[in-house]
Amino acid sequence: MKKVSQMNIGDCAIVRKITAKEPIRGRLTAMGIVKGAKIKVLKHTLAKQTWDILAGNTKVGLREEEAENIIVESEK
Amino acid sequence: MNTHHESSLSAENDKSLVKNSKIKVVVAGQPNVGKSSLLNAIGDARLHTGNFSGVTVDTKVVDIKKDGYDISLVDLPGIYSLNAYTPEEQVSKNYLIQEEYDIIINIVDANTLSRNLIFTLQLLDMHKKMILVINMIDEIEAKGGSVDKDKLEMLLGIPVVLSSAKEHKGIDEIVDTIIEVYKHPKEKNKIYYSERIELRIEKLISILKKSPHFKDPDFARFVAIRLLDRDENIYKMIHDLPVWIEVHDILEKMYKKLEAEFDEESTTDILSNERAALSHNLQMEALKIPEIQESLSEKIDNILIHPVLGLPIFLFFMWGLFQLTFELGNIPMNWIDWFFSNSANYISEILPKGEFNSLLTEGVIPAIGAVVMFLPNILILFLGINLLEQTGYMARAAYLMDGFLKKFGLQGKAFVPLVSGFGCTVPAYMAARTLKNPKDRIITMLVLGFMSCGARLPIYVLVIAAFFANHNPGNVLFAIYIGGAVLGLIVAKILRVVLFKGEPEPFVMEIPPYRFPSMKSLLMDLWIKTKMFLKKAGTFIAVAAMIVWFLSTYPHHPKTEQIFEKKIELATNKKSKESLKNELNAKLLEDSYLGTIGKTINPIFKPFGFDWRMTVSVIAGLAAKEVVVSTMGTLYAVGGGLENNGLIQKMKENVDFKAAVALIIIIMIYSPCLAAMSTFYAEIPQWLWRTFYTVYPNVLAWLLAYTVYNILKIAGY
Repeated sequence: MKKVSQMNIGDCAIVRKITAKEPIRGRLTAMGIVKGAKIKVLKHTLAKQTWDILAGNTKVGLREEEAENIIVESEK
Repeated sequence: MNTHHESSLSAENDKSLVKNSKIKVVVAGQPNVGKSSLLNAIGDARLHTGNFSGVTVDTKVVDIKKDGYDISLVDLPGIYSLNAYTPEEQVSKNYLIQEEYDIIINIVDANTLSRNLIFTLQLLDMHKKMILVINMIDEIEAKGGSVDKDKLEMLLGIPVVLSSAKEHKGIDEIVDTIIEVYKHPKEKNKIYYSERIELRIEKLISILKKSPHFKDPDFARFVAIRLLDRDENIYKMIHDLPVWIEVHDILEKMYKKLEAEFDEESTTDILSNERAALSHNLQMEALKIPEIQESLSEKIDNILIHPVLGLPIFLFFMWGLFQLTFELGNIPMNWIDWFFSNSANYISEILPKGEFNSLLTEGVIPAIGAVVMFLPNILILFLGINLLEQTGYMARAAYLMDGFLKKFGLQGKAFVPLVSGFGCTVPAYMAARTLKNPKDRIITMLVLGFMSCGARLPIYVLVIAAFFANHNPGNVLFAIYIGGAVLGLIVAKILRVVLFKGEPEPFVMEIPPYRFPSMKSLLMDLWIKTKMFLKKAGTFIAVAAMIVWFLSTYPHHPKTEQIFEKKIELATNKKSKESLKNELNAKLLEDSYLGTIGKTINPIFKPFGFDWRMTVSVIAGLAAKEVVVSTMGTLYAVGGGLENNGLIQKMKENVDFKAAVALIIIIMIYSPCLAAMSTFYAEIPQWLWRTFYTVYPNVLAWLLAYTVYNILKIAGY
């Protein structure tokens, strides 16, 4: 188990827990980042302040703070 | 609920009745599903635009006629979920829940079907007549995939239309389906939650039914589901009803029990998970698509949001947009200026001299000109911004800039309005609409004025020429502009901390795939923006321009005029005639209401060495920054114009260095022009923010000017 903010570009994982509070939580849900969803890290900026995540077929931009609040389990 | 089908059945036998059948349809969907393009593709449509009450969210209503039916389609702002977050989403949600209508059309994007269907499931909870439109089907088919329409219809229990705005597919079918659905009774609900949740829903319905407000079982079910979803709007709705006490008690117990049973933090999560699982299964059943390799979007992104190259590319695009807006935009602006001043001159000559002539040619026509003048800037800037948004690049820009702007309590997208502010504050305020979050938007708009607009340039140039003669003028100018920008960022940070302390700001943003923009919706949006500007800001601006004209022209002093006219007639050479004329204009402006106001409030500006002429000029600058230099020229009786060396000389004689620096600070920070203020008022409906916006820059400007003046004084300048 690790945070999305600890993942590398190109890594895939399954979302296990979301520790973000509302309203961020609701936003993540609306974007398809829910428990059990498969996600992939597409990109992050140089300083890892902003993240580009693929969830389902949707690309989602996240801040570091939000990426820290998504707990995932790596997928082979 | 709907009972129209009965009347329309009998109407089928009677043509004259059919003609009056009106169908009201609401069109709802998540952002980026191609909703506007689809609506624009409906032929023979008339488009109305307006505003939802209380918020600056445009409404669009498309009217069509078919088979004797008058169909209006209300285009709701994009909404991700009934757990609404942005004001636009709130507008859509309120409309869906509170307004009367016959049919909901839910538009979804075939590419992100499962995520879109989560919202569809929330809509289905409402038990209204509904049509599901699966848009962008061409993109799925191009990849060799397909959507099983019949299967979805069977599973969801509502009609499904496959469409593509780009290939004009399914458009007529949407209209036909509306009429079909309207004519027939609603089908039975087919969507149910898991047993343990349905049990609670039933229980809640049985309690709600005791209240006369929930006699309709469909509505009671919807409210019960929303209560389990912890929907604040629904709490508020039934909070004052007698049934609330009973509902409240049982609800608290249900929350605890369900959360324990499902091992989740909140019932909202339980329902979200159920919907997510259900929509995932629906997609598995109905959508066939081959395994996707790296898409074109990703290939483009490898360059455009490259960790190193992304930023310079973005800055280059911004530079291009800026050049287009303010360099290219200046050409038609000059034509407009030329047209209005010539018309004014022409009319002034053909009409008899007098009050009416003066009102028309010095008041009304220039006022209208002042409004129309901004249109080229606004049109080009918005064309650019719409292109950025429709192609999907805007989300990338936000992604790139967010890391930097976040430090100052701003959001990535704020970069575009902020940079536009260096050109003209009026379109920049409108550009802030791209920020959907109201807090981000208000903070951005509150500091936008510190980005020195183009009209302030002549003032800086004048002061630099007069007081920084032995410095490189380019460097001084650069320092002024950067100083304003840095101040804006600092103030933004302070505002965020002081006004919105501790409130979390989600930056969770969909990054849509790159798409070719649709010309029709680009133009449609430009037309809407133009209309809104002319109607709302335009009236403000015209009235303000008239007031300024009045203040600077009245009261008349016929005696002074007569004395000077005689003197001018008697003057022998051209030069003394000219200087007498300048003297007359100075005297007239000094004795006008504007001059009187300036002299009265001069003590406010005394602490940093302004004479009354500078005060009047700064006050006149509230009308338009362009008039500051010309007002100074008039008041120092040297005639207007920057090319006039006389003004620089007079400034040197009358103003000291410290006061000149104070002037720069005042111009940089205090309220922007009336046109900009009018635009702010038109964009922000809350009086609290309007008042704050009107007061704080001026207080800040005064304090900073005072501080710097005294620091310079201590330093011995």
